[in-house]
Amino acid sequence: MLLGYINGIVQDPKKSEDHLIAILTSFVKDVVVLPEKSRLNIWLELRQYAQSKLTLYTAKSHQSNLDQSIHNGKLDLLDDLQKKIFCAVYYHGKSIQYLAATIGCDESEIRNQLKLSIDKMRRASGN
Amino acid sequence: MEINKIIESGLMETYVMGIATEEEVKKVLSLKKEYPAFKDALEQLEYDMELLAQSMGIEPPAGTLAKIEHGINEIQRQNQSVQTAFNPEYSSDKTQPDNRQEKYIEVESESNQMHVNKAWKWVFIAVFVLGKIFLACAIYFYLENRQVKEQIKELKIEIKQKIR
Repeated sequence: MLLGYINGIVQDPKKSEDHLIAILTSFVKDVVVLPEKSRLNIWLELRQYAQSKLTLYTAKSHQSNLDQSIHNGKLDLLDDLQKKIFCAVYYHGKSIQYLAATIGCDESEIRNQLKLSIDKMRRASGN
Repeated sequence: MEINKIIESGLMETYVMGIATEEEVKKVLSLKKEYPAFKDALEQLEYDMELLAQSMGIEPPAGTLAKIEHGINEIQRQNQSVQTAFNPEYSSDKTQPDNRQEKYIEVESESNQMHVNKAWKWVFIAVFVLGKIFLACAIYFYLENRQVKEQIKELKIEIKQKIR
């Protein structure tokens, strides 16, 4: 799961594997997982931790990666704009304000497209 | 209903994706406490996002797990050695348990000792042995050289005497 996420950012299977090892070992070192935390919370925390560890990487390659179409299961259900917004948020942690400025539409539209893209993928999973 | 409007607004999505502003996070947390319907919808979204991540997952290559395990074990070993190194210091200070962390940091920052990897032990032994060998060679060649010089000197004297 995490490897798929990292590969979405790094776009290189070998480098992704190296990052996976580095991120998981440093996560164990840096983050105290409290017993009351659910598995879901841990995944969200792990994903955000991975994103924070790859910030320099994503900041450098964000522009080039945005235009690449990632053929990754449910992402193919999205149209180009939705894919662009979803990938920028999910993999690169870009804010609504940033996307509104770079894409050239208002924040409510970005928010709406993000929601639509998530809804589309959830529906495809039968939820 | 107002809460359904909020659920449909996309606020939960920005929160779950980790890009919500501080204000939005506060709003989500208070709504979660206040409205069970909002809490349920948020938990469902979090669950669906995990399923989505699973569907986009990649099988790690063989050997990756072993590498991660090795890295984690290494960290645990380091932590254990640090704890055992500082435990005597802690045990002598049982009357002030709150100061333990402060004391640990102080000892770390003022320490003039250096931790060296155990592998260097063999390098140091090798350097020491080589040093001794070179010293023995130097003494041997010095004595040899001195002896040769004396022999040359004697030979020169002998030759001079023969010439006369």
